[in-house]
Amino acid sequence: MSINIIMEGARSEGRQVLTEDESKQILALAGIPSTPCRVVESPGEAARAAGEMGFPVALKVRSTIITHKSDVGGVYLNLDCPEQVSRAFNDMREKVRGLDPGAGATVQPMAPPGVEVIIGMTTDSHFGPVMAFGLGGAAVEVLGDLSFRMAPITTADALEMIHSIKGIALLKGYRGRPGADLTGLADMLAKVSQLVTSYPGIREIDLNPVIAHPGGSLAADARIVISEYRSQTLR
Amino acid sequence: MQEKVFEHLSSVFYPERVAVIGATDSPDRVGFNVFQSILEGGFTGRVYPVHPRHESILGQPVYKSIGEVPGPVDLAVICLNQHATVQAVESCGRLGVKGVLCHAGGYREMGDEGRELEMRLIATAQKYAMVLVGPNSLGLINNEGNFYSTFYPLQIPKGSVSLISQSGGMGLTIIHKALDEGMGINKFIGVGNCSTVGFADYLEYLGEDSGTSVIAVFMEGTADARRFALAAEKVAAKKPVVLLKAGRSPVSDYFTVTHTGSAAGSYRLYRDIFSQFGVYMADSAHDLVAACKGLSLLAPARSNRIGILTHTAGPSIVMADQLSEKGCVIPPLQESTISRVKEIIGEDPPVVLKNPLDAAGLGFARETFGWLAGAMLEDPGIDLLVAVYCLHKNWGLPSREIIEAQRQYGKPVVACYASHWEGCRDDRNILQNAGIPLYTTPEDACAAVAALVHHSKRGGRIRP
Repeated sequence: MSINIIMEGARSEGRQVLTEDESKQILALAGIPSTPCRVVESPGEAARAAGEMGFPVALKVRSTIITHKSDVGGVYLNLDCPEQVSRAFNDMREKVRGLDPGAGATVQPMAPPGVEVIIGMTTDSHFGPVMAFGLGGAAVEVLGDLSFRMAPITTADALEMIHSIKGIALLKGYRGRPGADLTGLADMLAKVSQLVTSYPGIREIDLNPVIAHPGGSLAADARIVISEYRSQTLR
Repeated sequence: MQEKVFEHLSSVFYPERVAVIGATDSPDRVGFNVFQSILEGGFTGRVYPVHPRHESILGQPVYKSIGEVPGPVDLAVICLNQHATVQAVESCGRLGVKGVLCHAGGYREMGDEGRELEMRLIATAQKYAMVLVGPNSLGLINNEGNFYSTFYPLQIPKGSVSLISQSGGMGLTIIHKALDEGMGINKFIGVGNCSTVGFADYLEYLGEDSGTSVIAVFMEGTADARRFALAAEKVAAKKPVVLLKAGRSPVSDYFTVTHTGSAAGSYRLYRDIFSQFGVYMADSAHDLVAACKGLSLLAPARSNRIGILTHTAGPSIVMADQLSEKGCVIPPLQESTISRVKEIIGEDPPVVLKNPLDAAGLGFARETFGWLAGAMLEDPGIDLLVAVYCLHKNWGLPSREIIEAQRQYGKPVVACYASHWEGCRDDRNILQNAGIPLYTTPEDACAAVAALVHHSKRGGRIRP
């Protein structure tokens, strides 16, 4: 499977918003770490997948119609046993029946706890591809604590970007909490930048949240939006 | 930058023969004011007023049409309405005029009909490979050759700061503030709608221009921002670029993918990205002029370690606050400096010997102030000195002493007098002629220091 094949597959179905599993396949091909993501179609299959992965797991709706999973209540976190997983699957099906009766799910291991950050890329009408970095949760939603750079960026740019948010103190560790691996985080930003530079058909990337640990970082969720047509080159 | 655009812009900034199309004898009209501005500005080339019905304007013979003007015209300044401008550009193209400057508004800023008219204007200019400045432009000034082609007639001292402005009103604001500050201007360009020549072109042109040592930019917004950022990186490696961006309220969200609502406005993108490429982002017109004045007078600082000498604590505290926010360090004085200070003001002075150094009453005397400035400049841990002094009815300002200290140690010095300009205009000229920018508020002095440190740090840095 190549990045172009994944994008062409979505285009052939008339989709620009890739599913989480498609997005994470692209990340894997670009060397960007994320939580593994298994597509399941039934409660039993979900429970089996969870057992194989090891608990706790997350279950998320997988649909080509529903692109904002948490808006429809389609995200279940910290499921501890096979029964919880199959119940979550049925509950999810019930909730989204009206939107997408054929919706499946993905099962993925819960990322170990850490600081939640956002790594994003968007195509701006003035600047072209732009990278964004910020703390997740309220820091970005309420305070807008984000920093931006024009892609492509170097690892040095990425480090500067990380250090320019107000919440940098949280990432460096506080009150005895260990800090995040900032070099690894910068490397991840630089890889996202490389990915969008190599594949101009990618219009947006939203890794939210990325869980930053002392030993590395990984994307717990991913959303990639591609252009309608294959050839879209940089201005 | 394309060789051709550069060559064309040269003929616009340095024309030898200029036609003013639509010159009139009524001071109410743009056509009169542009012609008067060029004529009385001391333009070293030839200027030809063009009007079908006038015989003479301001004592100069008028040509009935552009075709009657003798010899090749480098630049036609078109002072007609938006419709007649398109016709005039066509005539200029046929006659081989190299460039046109279009003052008229009424184009893309006026909706679909205006946009269509602007497309015709662009197509006409392109058909004849003419450079088109504007439309919707205040005009341009080149102080090398005294070429003042704006419809607000001006006289500005010549300096090495050049200004690119998207707005005529902000351009004038910055120019008048520069006059107050005693900052000379080299070139001014009102870019207007940037129909065929964009911000990046002007920036690259001024980057190569030998008369320009600092480039100031006022920008509302440009679809060409990516190209501008890339051009700025190359230019800022050679000379400082200081930019004021308007439009800070987050009207549009560029980062919608995370459902973050108004988390990210376009101003943040411009600020972060232009800084990424070495541009110094000013907070206000005031800040922009203060920064440009400092950058045009001061040699680069070795690093970001700032000494502050004062005889009153307040301004130094305000400065310490602002400078630390902008990445400067106020280092402690070294032992040798403290010994030197004691030699000057006594073994056990009633002041605290630290940086900022507040000499209080001991610093009132000009000689003492100058010696203290020298002692601080001698400190190997200090890269730049800010000297603060308050205007007094009976005590003279220590300008000559500050200049002497600066000359002795060679490090950059910024002077800050608590004064109004009338109280220190002569001192301003003396200091600034000696390469020491003078400010009348601690905030302005900090703008200069922060911009200098930014440029000294970022200058020459080109990413792989």
